[in-house]
Amino acid sequence: MINPHPGLPELQYVKPATLQEASKFLADNAGVAKPYSGGTDSFVRLRDGILKLDYLVDIKGLEGTKELSFDPQKGLTIGAAITMNQVARHPDVIKHYPNLAEAAESVASYQLRNRATIIGNICNASPAGDTIGTCMILDGVLKVHGVDGVREVPLNSFFLAPGRTVLKPGDVVVAVQLPLPPKGLVGTYKKLGRNRIGDLSIVAVAVLGYPTPDSASGYRFRIALASVAPVPFESFKAEGVLSGNKITPELIDEAAGATMDSVTPIDDVRGSARYRKQMVKNLTREALTEVWTKLSK
Amino acid sequence: MANAKSKEQVVNPIGASFTRNDVYEKVTGSAVYADDIQFGNKLLYARAKRSPYPHALIKKIDISKAEVLPGVKVVVTGKDFPNRIGLYLQDKTIFATDRVRFIGEPVAAVAAISEEVAMKAVELIEVEYEELEAVFDAEFGASDKAPLIHPDLDKYVCPNFIFPKAGTNIANHFKIRKGDVSSAWDKCAHVVERSFKVPHIQHVPIETHIAIAQMDEKGKVTVWASSQSPFAQRNLIAHALHISQSDLRVIAPLVGGGFGSKAGVTMEAIPVALATKCKGWPVKFLLTREEEFYTNFVRQGLTIHVKVGCDKEGNLLALKNIMYWDGGASTEYGTNVTRAGGYSSSGPYDIPNVETDSICVYTNHPIGGAYRGFGMSELHTGLDQAIDELAEKAGVDKVTFLKKNGVAEGDVLVTGMIMHKNGIQECIDNVAKSLNFNEKEKPSSPDRLRGKGIAAMWKAPAMPPNPGSSAWVEMSEDGNVTVGLGGQEIGQGTFTVMAQMAAAALGVPYDKVRIAGPVDTQYSPYEWQTVASRLTWSMGNAVVLAAKDARRQILETVAEAWKESTDDLDIINGVVVSYKSERETSLENIVIYGMPKENNEGWTGGPIVGRGSFMPKYVTNLDAETGQGPRAVVHYTVGCEGLDIEIDKNTGTIYVLKGAASFDVGKAINPALVKAQVEGGFAQGLSSAMFEEIKLVKGVMTNPSFVDYRIATAPDMDFPLDTPFVEVPQDDGPWGARGVGEHPMVPTIAALGNAIYDATGIRLTNPPYSAEKIYLAMLDKGLVK
Amino acid sequence: MTLKTITLTVNDLVETVDVPQNMTLLQMIREKLSLTGTKNGCAAGECGACTVLMNGEPVNSCMVLAAECEGANIVTVEGLAKAGKLSTLQDTIIEAGGVQCGFCTPGMLISATALLKRNPNPTDSEIRSAIVGNLCRCTGYVRIVDAIKMAAK
Repeated sequence: MINPHPGLPELQYVKPATLQEASKFLADNAGVAKPYSGGTDSFVRLRDGILKLDYLVDIKGLEGTKELSFDPQKGLTIGAAITMNQVARHPDVIKHYPNLAEAAESVASYQLRNRATIIGNICNASPAGDTIGTCMILDGVLKVHGVDGVREVPLNSFFLAPGRTVLKPGDVVVAVQLPLPPKGLVGTYKKLGRNRIGDLSIVAVAVLGYPTPDSASGYRFRIALASVAPVPFESFKAEGVLSGNKITPELIDEAAGATMDSVTPIDDVRGSARYRKQMVKNLTREALTEVWTKLSK
Repeated sequence: MANAKSKEQVVNPIGASFTRNDVYEKVTGSAVYADDIQFGNKLLYARAKRSPYPHALIKKIDISKAEVLPGVKVVVTGKDFPNRIGLYLQDKTIFATDRVRFIGEPVAAVAAISEEVAMKAVELIEVEYEELEAVFDAEFGASDKAPLIHPDLDKYVCPNFIFPKAGTNIANHFKIRKGDVSSAWDKCAHVVERSFKVPHIQHVPIETHIAIAQMDEKGKVTVWASSQSPFAQRNLIAHALHISQSDLRVIAPLVGGGFGSKAGVTMEAIPVALATKCKGWPVKFLLTREEEFYTNFVRQGLTIHVKVGCDKEGNLLALKNIMYWDGGASTEYGTNVTRAGGYSSSGPYDIPNVETDSICVYTNHPIGGAYRGFGMSELHTGLDQAIDELAEKAGVDKVTFLKKNGVAEGDVLVTGMIMHKNGIQECIDNVAKSLNFNEKEKPSSPDRLRGKGIAAMWKAPAMPPNPGSSAWVEMSEDGNVTVGLGGQEIGQGTFTVMAQMAAAALGVPYDKVRIAGPVDTQYSPYEWQTVASRLTWSMGNAVVLAAKDARRQILETVAEAWKESTDDLDIINGVVVSYKSERETSLENIVIYGMPKENNEGWTGGPIVGRGSFMPKYVTNLDAETGQGPRAVVHYTVGCEGLDIEIDKNTGTIYVLKGAASFDVGKAINPALVKAQVEGGFAQGLSSAMFEEIKLVKGVMTNPSFVDYRIATAPDMDFPLDTPFVEVPQDDGPWGARGVGEHPMVPTIAALGNAIYDATGIRLTNPPYSAEKIYLAMLDKGLVK
Repeated sequence: MTLKTITLTVNDLVETVDVPQNMTLLQMIREKLSLTGTKNGCAAGECGACTVLMNGEPVNSCMVLAAECEGANIVTVEGLAKAGKLSTLQDTIIEAGGVQCGFCTPGMLISATALLKRNPNPTDSEIRSAIVGNLCRCTGYVRIVDAIKMAAK
C-alpha cells in the first residue's frame, strides 16, 4: 500500500556556488543528499517515500551545466541543466542529431519537458529512459565532477541495474558529450506507450545507421532498446546481423527477430513480457525500415 | 407606461445555446472550489491511518505517541464513531471499528497544524491486526466457500427494495422473472452464450475529494465539501454522529468533477469526526490523488454471464442474465447499482422472456459507489456484444437487428412497466448514417485492419421511489431574478440550464437570472442528490413551478392594480404587458414594493417569492422474486453509439476514424450543453474502453497514480465525433426534457468491442481493450505473425 | 527547518516570500500568495492542473521548489487578463464551450497561451500534443481544441 505525502517531505534546499562545493557537500552527506536538476523523477520518488533525503542539492547553474553547444570538431555538449525542450528545439540538434531531438520530444508532456533534463534522464537510470538509448548509440560520454576532480564515463559502462549507476557519493554529472556523428547518419526513435503519446514506454527502440567501408553490408547500424531489460540495452546481436550481409527487408526482419531473441523482458503493470518481445521485434523492424529507406536513397 | 424592452425580439431561452453563467469565474481563476476557501491560521489538517490489509481483525490501536506529537490537536479512532450509515444498505462506519475490509480503509485520523505534522503523527499510530482470509472475486464471494466479510449483515438496516441474504456475502440479490425463459430456448433459432468481465475503474475527477468541517461551541457543525449531495451528506453524517440534521450545515462550492464519486458520503465524515473533538477549529481533509484512486469510491467490477436467443428473423425471444457485482468492502450505495442493473437488464430491447439474477457481493476490494452510468455501462458491455454476435449468427445486419428489437411505446418491459414513447429508432439511424455503417470500408494501409461497431443503450434515473426537488424564486428591486436550488454545478451546466428555464417560465431575459450559490443546506431548498441525470428533469420541474408561482404573484398584483384580468396579462422580456389595454410596467421595484391601487385605495402585492416542489409519486416497489411491478422507474433515456476504427497490425493500437453518439433528450434546453455532455461522456467511455482498469492483485491496487492508471488525453481524441440528438418529449419533463449526463458513457465499450470484432473477427470479453490484448489475440489467431 | 526568503515576480508584481524549503511553487502560489486559481490535481507532474508560466515556459508548479524560484517570472491564470479585459483564449474558451467543471481550465489556458506564443498557427495535432499534459475529464477536449483554433485565427 502506498501512502505518498501530499507535498514533499521535509528537506532542505541547498544551492552550492561551485562544483567543488557541491561535490564536497554531497560526499559529506552521502546517502541523505542528492543532486537534482529538473526534479521530475526525484520529487515523485520523495513523495512516494522511495527516496529519503535530508538535502536536495540544486546543481543548475554550476560550471558547465547550462552549456548547450555544438562544435564542428568535437560534437554536441549538453549540460546538466539543459531541458528536454531546449534540446529538442535547438537548431544544431535538429540539424546534426535529429534522432536525439525526436527522442527528447517523446518524453511526457511539454510542461515536464521544460524541467526534465537529458542528464537527469540518464542518471535516473530507468530502463524506460527515453533519451538514454539514443545517447548510448551516439557514443555519449559523461563528464562527471567528483571529490577527486573531473573524469569521463562512457555511457555504455554507466548503468549497473534499474536506478543504479557507477556514480559515487560526491559525483555531479556536469554534461554529456556526443561526438560528431558519422557522415550520412540517419536515426529514429520509435516509442510505444498506452496512450498515443506522452506515456512511459512499454517498449521503445532507438536506431541509427550510417554508411561505412568497415562492414560487409556497407553500413553500420546501432540499436538500443528501452523497457525490455534492467538497463537500456544495446542489441549487438541484431547489429551483427546487419553488418554481415546486403541489407534487404528479409535481413531487417532477421535483425528484428534477433532483438526479440536477445531480450528477456518482465511482466509489469505496463505490459506483459510476451507483448514486449513482439513489440521490440515490430518496432525494430519499423525503425530499421525507415532508417534504411533514407540511407539507401 | 410604455417600455421599449417588451418590443425587443424575444429570444426563447428554451433551445438556445446560451453562454454558461459560471465560466467567467472559471477562466479567470476566481471560481471558488473547496480547497480555495481561506480559513486563516486556525485551520487544521487531517491525515488518515489506513489499513494495509484487505481483511483483518483490529486487535489493538495505540494512538498515545501520535497524540503527544507537538502540533497534533486531536486523534480519533473508530471506537468513538460506531454508527453504521449508508444511502441504501447501512453497512458503513466512518472508520473501521472491529475489523478492516479493504486496503486503504481508514482506521484512525489525525488533525494537526500542518499536513506534515499530521503525516508524522499517522506514522506514529500503531495498529495490531490479525489477518483473515480475504475475498477477491465476486463469484467466489457469493459461494458458500467464502469467508464472511459482514457477519452481521442481517442486522443492517435497509429499505424494503434491497434484498440482502443473511449469512452470506450477498448484499443484494435482485431478480427478474418475466415470461418463461427455460422453454423459450427451444423456440430460438440462434443462441449466443458469453461471459464478460468488466474491471473496476475510478472516476478520476481532476479535483480530488475534499471536506473541511468545523464544530462550534454549541455543537453545530459546518461542512464545506466538494459534493454532489449536500443534503444527503447532511442526513448521513448527522445520522453517523447522532446530530440532528438542522445542526449540520453543508456548504457546497463549485465541484471540479464528480461523475458519481462525490455522491453520498465517503471521506467527508472524517474531518467532521475530528472537528467534533476540537470545537472551534476548522479541520481540512484533502485526498491525495493516490488516495482518490484506491481509498474512495470506485466503479464496481462485474462478471456477467449472458445467454440470449432470437428467432430466425432476428426477433429477440429470450435473455438469461447472471451478474455478479464486485461490490467491495461496503455496498451501501452499490446495492442499488445491482438493482438498477437488474431492472434494466434487457437493455433497450423488447424481449418477451427474461431471467435476470443481479447479485451484489461483498469483496475485500475498494468500495463500489455511484459511477456515471450506475451499472449500465457494465451491463451493456456484455449485453450489447452478445447481441452483436447474435445478429451475426442470425445473418441479420447489425443496424436492422437493433432497430427490429428496439423498445417501443407500449412494450412491456422486464419489470412489467409499459415503455413510453422514445426515439431509439432515430438514434440508431443517426449513428448508422453518420458512420456509413453498412458499408464495409477499406483500411487506409495494408498495415491496418478496419472495422465498425454499434451499440444501443438505455438508462433510467436510479433513485429511491421518493427523491424530491425544490426551488424558490425571488427578485430584487432591479428586476433581477435569483433562483434558489439544491442541485450542484459539477460541470454539467445545471446552473445555466436552470437559469434558462426560470427565465422562460417567468418571462425575463436569461441574463437577468442568477443562481443562488454556493448551495448551502442552511438556505438552499432541498434537493435529493445531483446524480442519476435527474436535475434537468426533476429540479427543472421544481424551478419552473417556482418561476410560474412568482409569475402568478406578479400578474395577480398587476391585475389588481390595473383592475384587469390576469388572462390578459403577460411578462415579456421582463416587462408586464396587457394585451387588452396595452399598458406596460417593468418588473423593477414592483416585485418588492408591490403596486399602489388606484384612487388612493392602498397597495397590492409585496415581495415576490415563488416556490416549487417536485417529487415523482408514481414509482412502485417490485416483487422480490420476480422483479415485477407497475412502475419500476420514472422514465428511460435511450441512445446509440458507434465507432469506425482501424487497428495497427504491428502494435494492436486502435485509431478511431470517427465516432457517433445520438441520444433522445426529450428537449434540448441548451443544445450546446447537451452536445458538450455527449462529447465528454463519449471520451470517458472510450477511455474506459481502451485504457482504464484498477489493477487489483490480492486486494492491492497496483496502479494508484496517473503514471499507470491511464486516461484519455487530447491526442487520443483526435477524431470527428457526430453528436446529433433526438427530441421525443418526456411527458412530465420541463418542455419535454429528460437527462443525458450519464448516458454517453454507457455503450462505448460495447461499441468498441463490436468494432474490434468487425475488424478482426475476435471477440474480446474483458475490457479495457488495450493494444496489447488486441495484438496478442491477433497473434494467437494467426492474423499477424 | 528554517525558511528561505525569495523575491520573484508573479503576474507583474514583485513579491518577497518566506517559504519552507520543501514547499513547492504550487503551494507557495496558493498558500502564501492566495492565488488559488492554479489547482492541485495530483502533486506528481501528471495532470497539468497546476501549470503556470515560469520565465515564459509552462511548467507543472507542483514539480518546482519555491526555494529555487529566486528571480523567476511567474504568470498564473490570474495574470492572463489585462486590466479586466480577458485574453483572446479566455474569450474563445468561453465562446467555444470548452469549460465545464473548470478545474483543468487554468492550467489548460496557460499551456495554450504558451503554445500560441511559440506557434501562432498550430495544426490540430500540434494543439493536442501541446496539451497532452493537461488532463480533462469533462469535455473530451473537443471544445478546448476548438477554442485554441479560434484564438489562433
